[in-house]
Amino acid sequence: MPTYAELEAQAAPAKRRIEARDRPRLAVGIDTSSIAVGALKTLDALRALVASRGLDADVVQTGGNGLSFANPQVEVGRAGGSRILYQHVDAEDVPDFLESVLVRGEQTNRWLLGALGGSPASGVARMDDHAWWSVQERRLMSEMGLIDPESIDDALATGAYAGLERSLVMTQEDVIAEVTGSKLGGRSGGFFPTGRKWDFLRTSPTTPKTMVCNADEGDPGAWVNRMTMEDDPHALIEGMLIGAWAAGAATGYIYVREEYPLAFERVVKAVEQAYERGLLGKDILGHDFSFEMKVVRGAGSYVCGEESGLIASIEDARGMPKIRPPYPAASGVFGQGSNVNNVGSYHCAAWIMRHGVEKYADVGTERNPGTMLFSLSGHVQRAGCFEFAFGVTVGQAYEICGGGAPVGHTFKALQPGGPLLGVLPEFALDLAIEPEAFREKGAVGLGGGGFVFLDDTACVIDLCAQFEWFLEDESCGRCTTCHGGTQRMVEIIRRIQRGGGRESDIGKFRLIADTLKYSNCFHGQFAPSIIVNTMTWFAAELEEHIFSRHCRAGVCKGLTRYEAGRDKATRAEYAEAYARAAETCLTLAMRRAAGDAVEGQEPCLECVVCAELLPQAVHVVDAFEQGDPAPELISIQPAYE
Amino acid sequence: MTSFYGASARNEATLEVRQILEGLAPGEGDLLEALHRVQHRYGYIPQAAIPGVAQHLRLPESRVYGAVTYYSEFRQTPPPETKISWCSGPACYIKGSENLRLVLEGLLACGMGENTPDNRLGLHLGQCNGTCDNAPQVWVDGEVVGPLTPSKTVELVRRLQAGDQP
Repeated sequence: MPTYAELEAQAAPAKRRIEARDRPRLAVGIDTSSIAVGALKTLDALRALVASRGLDADVVQTGGNGLSFANPQVEVGRAGGSRILYQHVDAEDVPDFLESVLVRGEQTNRWLLGALGGSPASGVARMDDHAWWSVQERRLMSEMGLIDPESIDDALATGAYAGLERSLVMTQEDVIAEVTGSKLGGRSGGFFPTGRKWDFLRTSPTTPKTMVCNADEGDPGAWVNRMTMEDDPHALIEGMLIGAWAAGAATGYIYVREEYPLAFERVVKAVEQAYERGLLGKDILGHDFSFEMKVVRGAGSYVCGEESGLIASIEDARGMPKIRPPYPAASGVFGQGSNVNNVGSYHCAAWIMRHGVEKYADVGTERNPGTMLFSLSGHVQRAGCFEFAFGVTVGQAYEICGGGAPVGHTFKALQPGGPLLGVLPEFALDLAIEPEAFREKGAVGLGGGGFVFLDDTACVIDLCAQFEWFLEDESCGRCTTCHGGTQRMVEIIRRIQRGGGRESDIGKFRLIADTLKYSNCFHGQFAPSIIVNTMTWFAAELEEHIFSRHCRAGVCKGLTRYEAGRDKATRAEYAEAYARAAETCLTLAMRRAAGDAVEGQEPCLECVVCAELLPQAVHVVDAFEQGDPAPELISIQPAYE
Repeated sequence: MTSFYGASARNEATLEVRQILEGLAPGEGDLLEALHRVQHRYGYIPQAAIPGVAQHLRLPESRVYGAVTYYSEFRQTPPPETKISWCSGPACYIKGSENLRLVLEGLLACGMGENTPDNRLGLHLGQCNGTCDNAPQVWVDGEVVGPLTPSKTVELVRRLQAGDQP
């Protein structure tokens, strides 16, 4: 088996290519986020045009850098080492773009985002000049956007597997001591000390032992694990190998969710390449350490992100969580002692062993050294994945990186870490990004890296309905508390949304929330979080829905209706818009408003095309006048209510 | 697309399925991989494929069937020619994805997980894939289309119904 020095030597050409650059290098960041806005087309167009015009430049693929809002991005590297990022380079821009950067040799043009390093021409904006860049502490993400994630040479050239080499000459105890000393906490959102977890498995009497990576990032609104898998997959494999060495495991599984086809593809490729180079298999790097790895593809199940559910899913079964104990360290995959960590935890462990625990603790806080990836989405001006040192506040992340609420709107709520973690009001912006800070304020937790921001156009009750429905849909069905409780929650919230709220509903919510605590796994136990949070922090809004049958955001379908201005003046003024709306809208209501009543039209879909196309003439109004008798409800409610 | 009817066809199906599963072994956690392969081959998991998978992996048929119905990505009916996945994630939701769903279901006259009668278009409930900078969105055969509004969705569906590109 090759030694680490031999692998490094093999990667030398890649290192030269990345660092020195004898000729211009155009790199397009390719990952799921950039493909969604046409980065592959940009890459193809660049390749075709550079070849057909015979320009002197390399066109390569790299991973994405997390800045989704700027995609598709092209990085132009020049001899001498300057690296400049350009944003929004669409396929149709490619001729002009190449003319500018290659033919005229310009560094500043309309696509310029900023210079990453080297010595750009004077006057070229630097990335560090952007507050949303400099507020980040990009360590785990330092290789993202720099290397081709499908090339192991690129990874080796930028230091991959150096942490493994360092660990393999240390004792198991020393590796665990270093990881424990870093205070690295589980990045799925539980923040359980990773080093201690590894030690449980090391001291577990069972053999053989198994290392499992939970890459079933099911929390909607979070894509931080996808970043690692798509843009730097070898960091994940390295982290798992380090853990396997420290805990004495001989086999490993990476469980990737179905919804990440590109991440799965790249992780499989990385594993194959690691086998080819002797980084997996027997006598790794010439040391007395062997490890076999398998990549498992999920099939669409949220509870498979719960560790016992994930283990069951690997074992030829429905992914239903089990009651613990036994914990995985005693009995996990196929009854073997197992350790389950999140992608982020392995990525951090690899970083710690590459750079040492002192360097890791340079940033962050006393109780949480280091950094973590966060994906910001929802009502923000810049959606993307950013890396923060612990201790940065949510408000800084929101204002500086996210750019705050869209123009004309204000912050309303933060939804951290997926449907199980509830929703937080204004004070969320003052919280430091640390699990303790969140819990001290009564929040369920910090979560695994997803931050979805809501502004005043969102209705918290409506989000409750969506999340409870999601949790009902994804409940494995083993405990009645969970599948029955979530179902009941959905029924009640939907009734409230149709104007059938009752005073007793608050009490019912509390009863169901208390009962759900006795579910077997996190899924049921935390299912009522968003309702409980809403009753605490958005009580006024909830009461409005129940008692006044009013939705202040004008979102809940049963509490609002759309009224088209029917007076002649309005009609004349917006005749053109009416015509277009009538063309697009399918319903009688719209046709009537356009003065073009057609019989036999289907009823209104409530799709709001009319309000979208005719914002001046179609208004959202309350469906109920104050004091209206309660509406007759379609009876899906049981008779005993 | 292959369909399975009758006893002899059933045996043939079992044989064919076992060929697809070559290299997979019992007791190694290969059930999901086996089902992925079957779905890749036929576009869905035909009922008649279940005995073949069960025999090959030496599992009870009930266990295979249980997995097929448990995971939302395994389908038991043929897929549409063009699959429209509606993203159910929160970033899309707070930006009005519910209105897109109403347009899709209303125009295609089918629900999530169903196809139009001619099987040309079908709806699928998508889970967030983290391309939230394009919210609200749908994926047409896996390709992200967004950000959408209700009227853009109407136009998208009409284009797809006419057989045009998204």
